[in-house]
Amino acid sequence: MSLRHIWAITRKEFNHIIRDRSTLILVVLTPLATLLLMAYALTVELQHIPIAVLDYDRSATSRNFVQQIVSGDDLDLYAQVSSIEEIENLLMHGDVKAALVIDPNFSRDLLAMRGMPMQIIIDGTEPESGGFAVNHIASRAEEFANEALSSQMQMMGFSTDSLKPLDLRIRTWYNPGLKPRNDLIPGLISMVLGFPALSVALALAHEREHGTMEQLMATPVGRAELLIGKMIPYIVAGLINVVMLPLLAMAWFDVPFNGSFPLFFGLSAIFMFAVLSMGIIIGVFMKTQAAAMGVSFLMIFFPGFFLTGIFFPIVSMPEIMRLESLGMPGTHYAIIIRGIFLPGVGMEILWPYAVMLILLGFSFTGIASLFFRKKLG
Amino acid sequence: MTDAIIQTTGLTKNFKKTRAVDALDLTIGSGELFGLVGPDGAGKTTSLRLLAGLLTLSEGEATVAGYDLRRQSESIKKEIGYMAQQFSLYAELSVLENLQFFAEIYDVPREMIAERTEKLLQFARLTEFKDRRAAHLSGGMQKKLALACTLIHEPKLLLLDEPTTGVDPISRREFWDILTNLHLNGTTIIVSTPYMDEADRCSRVGLIYAGKLVICDTPRQIKKELPGEMVEFLTNEWKAAKTLVEKMPGVLETQTYGEALHLLVDNGEQRLAQISEALTTNGINFRGARVAPVRMEEAFISLIQRLEE
Repeated sequence: MSLRHIWAITRKEFNHIIRDRSTLILVVLTPLATLLLMAYALTVELQHIPIAVLDYDRSATSRNFVQQIVSGDDLDLYAQVSSIEEIENLLMHGDVKAALVIDPNFSRDLLAMRGMPMQIIIDGTEPESGGFAVNHIASRAEEFANEALSSQMQMMGFSTDSLKPLDLRIRTWYNPGLKPRNDLIPGLISMVLGFPALSVALALAHEREHGTMEQLMATPVGRAELLIGKMIPYIVAGLINVVMLPLLAMAWFDVPFNGSFPLFFGLSAIFMFAVLSMGIIIGVFMKTQAAAMGVSFLMIFFPGFFLTGIFFPIVSMPEIMRLESLGMPGTHYAIIIRGIFLPGVGMEILWPYAVMLILLGFSFTGIASLFFRKKLG
Repeated sequence: MTDAIIQTTGLTKNFKKTRAVDALDLTIGSGELFGLVGPDGAGKTTSLRLLAGLLTLSEGEATVAGYDLRRQSESIKKEIGYMAQQFSLYAELSVLENLQFFAEIYDVPREMIAERTEKLLQFARLTEFKDRRAAHLSGGMQKKLALACTLIHEPKLLLLDEPTTGVDPISRREFWDILTNLHLNGTTIIVSTPYMDEADRCSRVGLIYAGKLVICDTPRQIKKELPGEMVEFLTNEWKAAKTLVEKMPGVLETQTYGEALHLLVDNGEQRLAQISEALTTNGINFRGARVAPVRMEEAFISLIQRLEE
């Protein structure tokens, strides 16, 4: 193994990355842009859903109920209508996502404690908004009924305290506000840090497509020298992202970073090695950039989405998927990065995952250099 | 012939369905300028890749630059310079950086790099373009730079796969002047080419057809192999002339070059007179009738035509 050869390949690759604008963008800016985009897209909080109300009861109670439902930022009263046809029209035009129809017996039944007869119509083409409206109305209705009930019982001389035997107080640790972003963004970072692996796969396929690989194979450069030399620049590019992405998360999204940064950096470097080795394998087997691109998405990004536990807990996966997820560097890194971001844990907890990353990295590199031959065809 | 730098016996390469190189027996002596010709798909590229250690051989034995091709292909790579057909340089690197890159890869001693690159830039007439990115060079200049890159470690053996395909005639001539210089300095060169004028400049030529080495000799000898002589007519009515003479006795082949009609005949002087007479009788105007020297191109086409029959 000659350091001179490795350095020659590395320097050449650096020049390529820096001078070829599309590669530079892919390597440095894509992870950043993807993180921004996905963080916004995946943590949209539903607010101001327009609804229509058809109140057949027209009592003080029903008006009061409607008032309570549309107070706050969740639902907006778009229109008070007087017929079902109007509702249909509004739904068809997409002006409202849901409609509340209050039964003529609403206040009478409520006071008689027989229930709250009403109907909610939602736009099934947008189940998210509709479902949100249903949940909101249902929870408000419950509160409303409780209030009505307790005021009535008080009037009848009962104490309402006896109705609450359970005092449940929920406390969430590490992410007290249960802000979805605080959990999602570290997970997303672990996923977008896989981009350098795509770049290195593309870089290898690029050399094959352009015939420079044939030329390199005709030289005395060693196989491992070639692969390592090729990998180093992308590790560096990845580490730039390792610094930039948490900064973005903290500055832009207010995600807390409770752990040790040097530890985070060190473990990220190990992750880079593991995930880039995976990219190298793809680059070794795929002959064209198009194929390398496709397979990278299949092998790095889709599993990154589904198998690493960013969105779906690994424990709820079928056995075979869980085994598969163990072979993905992203699975272990997602645990590491969340552990460092939120609870701020250290090596005493994270070491098994670090060991797994090292093992994966070495086995991937081993497989890659085993199958990478300095022969054509 | 001095000591052989390449020696193959029964060298064969099978791909899935085809036998690209079929039992090649080839001996190339040190210092030769050897031309490899043949139609597209005949096996020229596969032969060169085999010799460069880029393919595993299916059958046969070979030694290249003193190493066994089957077992020591990595050692061969230090000794040779190989230029692939679609040689593409690192487009984002400058001319100089490309040369320096290959100097590092070929372990050229550090203190010699500056001197070597300087010399090669001059040699390839690229000195004034040394800071230009390879992407911005003309096709001819790219080929010269590619050649310079394969020369950086001063190899004893050069394997060039169609180095001048797609290059304009002036750059082509320039490229061949460089090759001739290298040849004179003692470098062994094996070059495949689709151009017959280039084959004519080689010390020996091997014709590959369907993976087999069909003929391997000096250009002069190959031209002599042509069964008969060449006569030439210049005429504006070559179509009528061709139809007429094709059926005449003693005419073996006809080839047209613009307004020139080349006929391969069994006896030059005798047929020239007969054909001239026939053309005059049929009222076909012509001029410049003569017995012409055989060119490599005609020898080659004639050989291929006979092989295809």
